[in-house]
Amino acid sequence: MDDKAIVSSQVGETPSLLRSGRRLWRMLVSRHEFSALVLLLVVGTFLSLRTNTFLTSNNLSNVSRAFSWIAIAAFGESMAIIIGGIDLSVGAVMALAGLISALCLRAGYAVPLAILAGLLTGGLVGWVNGIVVGRVRLPPFIVTLATMSIARGITFALTGGWPVRDLPAGFRVLGQSDLALGSLSLPLPTLFMLGLSVVMSLLLGHTVLGSYIFTLGNSERALLVCGVDVAQIKVMAYTLCGLLTALGGLLMTARLGVAAPTAATGYELDIIAGAVIGGTSLFGGTGSILGVLLGAAAMQVLRNGLVLLGFPAYFQTVTIGALILTAILLDYWRKGPARQ
Amino acid sequence: MEPLLRVVNLSKSFGTLPALQQVSFQVQAGEVVGFAGQSGAGKSALAMVLVGLYAPNEGEVYFAGRRLEWPYRARALGIEVIHQAPDLAERLDVSSNVFLGNEIGWPLVGKWLQVPRRRQMDREAARILAQLDVHFSSLRERVANLSSEQRQMVAIARTMTRPARLIIVDDPALLLSYAYQQKLLSLIQTWQQQGTAIIFSSNNLDHLLAVTDRIIVLHRGRRVAEYRTDEADREEIIAALVGTTDHQQLTPILWALDSYYRAREQAEKLHHQQTLLERDLAAQDTLNQELIEQLAEQVNALDRANAALQDAQRRLLTEREQERKHLSRELHDQVIQDLLSVNYELEEVEADADVTAAQERERLKEIRGSIRGLVGDLRHICGSLRPPTIDSLGLGAALQSYTQDWARRTGVTMTLHLDADLGRLPEPIELSIFRIVQEGLNNVRKHARASKVQVALKRTSPRTLLISIADDGQGLAEDFDLAALAGAGHYGLLGISERVALLGGRLKLQNQASGGVLIQVEIPHPRVAK
Repeated sequence: MDDKAIVSSQVGETPSLLRSGRRLWRMLVSRHEFSALVLLLVVGTFLSLRTNTFLTSNNLSNVSRAFSWIAIAAFGESMAIIIGGIDLSVGAVMALAGLISALCLRAGYAVPLAILAGLLTGGLVGWVNGIVVGRVRLPPFIVTLATMSIARGITFALTGGWPVRDLPAGFRVLGQSDLALGSLSLPLPTLFMLGLSVVMSLLLGHTVLGSYIFTLGNSERALLVCGVDVAQIKVMAYTLCGLLTALGGLLMTARLGVAAPTAATGYELDIIAGAVIGGTSLFGGTGSILGVLLGAAAMQVLRNGLVLLGFPAYFQTVTIGALILTAILLDYWRKGPARQ
Repeated sequence: MEPLLRVVNLSKSFGTLPALQQVSFQVQAGEVVGFAGQSGAGKSALAMVLVGLYAPNEGEVYFAGRRLEWPYRARALGIEVIHQAPDLAERLDVSSNVFLGNEIGWPLVGKWLQVPRRRQMDREAARILAQLDVHFSSLRERVANLSSEQRQMVAIARTMTRPARLIIVDDPALLLSYAYQQKLLSLIQTWQQQGTAIIFSSNNLDHLLAVTDRIIVLHRGRRVAEYRTDEADREEIIAALVGTTDHQQLTPILWALDSYYRAREQAEKLHHQQTLLERDLAAQDTLNQELIEQLAEQVNALDRANAALQDAQRRLLTEREQERKHLSRELHDQVIQDLLSVNYELEEVEADADVTAAQERERLKEIRGSIRGLVGDLRHICGSLRPPTIDSLGLGAALQSYTQDWARRTGVTMTLHLDADLGRLPEPIELSIFRIVQEGLNNVRKHARASKVQVALKRTSPRTLLISIADDGQGLAEDFDLAALAGAGHYGLLGISERVALLGGRLKLQNQASGGVLIQVEIPHPRVAK
């Protein structure tokens, strides 16, 4: 409070342009999307200077496609995190949803039906997570660890470990086609991601449910006392997470044209990292869809950059892990128990 | 008739600690049931169980004839709860907290996807809070920034967004000041008149006696007594509260409780008065501030008036000098010339011997002599009206001629010291200095009876001039007072001091050790080109 007063009194003598500049800067720093934006800009600038392949429209459209399903799943994950929980089953659910759709297609069902089956699979896993976490009140970490194992196990059991190939073109078009908007050619998954980000932003920012989801993360007792069905909110958040993750899995499968039981292994880490780097606090109660979008983008750009720079593959994993740890530490310093 | 709420054999323990043991009671619609008990007697545990969050270990609760299963949401049944400490959504603002769980929204699809209608919620929240005498500068203030009393009032406002059938009031008075405690009591009465049943737990027996129909006493989680409030005896209730009937033990507790309540009430009243006083003081402070401002304004106005006055006087003096100059020129150019020509004509008449007799010639000579004397006098008057030399030769010359003339006329020995490099000063300053010396010497002539006078004019710094007039006369009287002079009709020294003030200089009047008066005047002046 005092610091602010001093700063503003000093600012009082500087020209108004500088003053509004400083205000803009302070506003930017206080936004939780800030670190993701900085990371994205720094890595992006570095790569466009060091390589002449990064800033090509081909590479950029590939990058945006590659993180679109991660981002879509991270939208769902961010809801689980904002309510103060976590969902570790997202990677396995992506694989399972893709596989179920692929099996339906191979069994001769129409594309929309197969997609519906995949989405329902994801929604079901999410719903089970939500029921056990919300109604039975078990810790989400353990519950979703278990469902992750179950979902992954089912993928192996259904295929015997073999990938499902030869998916019909009507399905693959979802992940492989581009939409030309003037001179810009946007991959379909990127468009899905952008559309969903708008829908999810409206849901979180402007509806009663969105308000409850944020309140649940920091004042659960207030909701309980006010007679809000908190368990129902948790069920909805985890179900929505499962649905979005399944959609991400379908887009990924459509892009690859193959549904492998080992697909999306380790993606839960990328998805959680995207959300956390985008400013979603692991302590619950804060986050935004725009932040998640930027966080997922920053992760993918970094990955892409490491490949373009010829970084050894194993050290890429080390780098990503270190980045996640940094993001969590930053979150801890900003919001954690030390600050309470 | 089936009661609104029927609690049968309710038991609840937290860990191994029993909070409620086999508690049974009923509440009719429109009835206020008070729960008395010391801290830890189980009042809050009862509220916790009835709000539906914590399942009891044993027992049943029937509400409006229906058996309740835990966990249930009390609000969905029409049961509102005000807890001891308010549970608010810290990140949300006041009106969102008032309507938390009861949002007014656009009905899109189901209740979850409603879009809250902020403006309508603000309006309603403002109306409810006004009923509670609570006012916020903005309903968009985050509740995390509110005082604990304000937070408690927000929690109370929350129960008024929808008509309730049963309100459980779990001793929220601890966080409230005296005025709001009274507000809460009258609120309970209003609710009762509207047909709402109320369970009112309180630590304050007077509150319970004021608004309840029945009082149930809890002691260590057990229901130990029940009284109709009309027939209740304070001491009996306190005996049940404390759990003893032994008078020797009870009396000091009664006494202590009584004085405790009285002390608290006193403290509250004192606190209230203190706030009033502080408000008064603040008002007085602003009044003082205003007075000081007005005073400063008046001083400013006086300063301005003073400056205008000085300006007017300066103009007056200048005009007087102008007039004197004009007058002296008139005298010199007209009267003296006329006299001289008369004299010349007389001389011609005198020279014309044919016409005039010797006797007449004598008389003519006399007349001519007196005309010459007249011209001399007039010249002297002109000189003092306007030192003739000051325009052409400057201050030094004018002073020299004036002092010589003065010494000759009065017979006092005169010494004049002038700085060699006096230079020329602006005309008004030169004239003023001349007048100061003139007045000073006049003064000496009139009052001092001196035999020697020393006049000195010298530069003390490039921008200041020191005029000193010293005599060896009888000196100033002991009760000399510059201000009293005007009353006595003496304007000489006063004139000096006024001129000095107009020039922004300083005047010093003092008796010398060797006798006589020393007048010292220091005058600043603009830079002079040499």
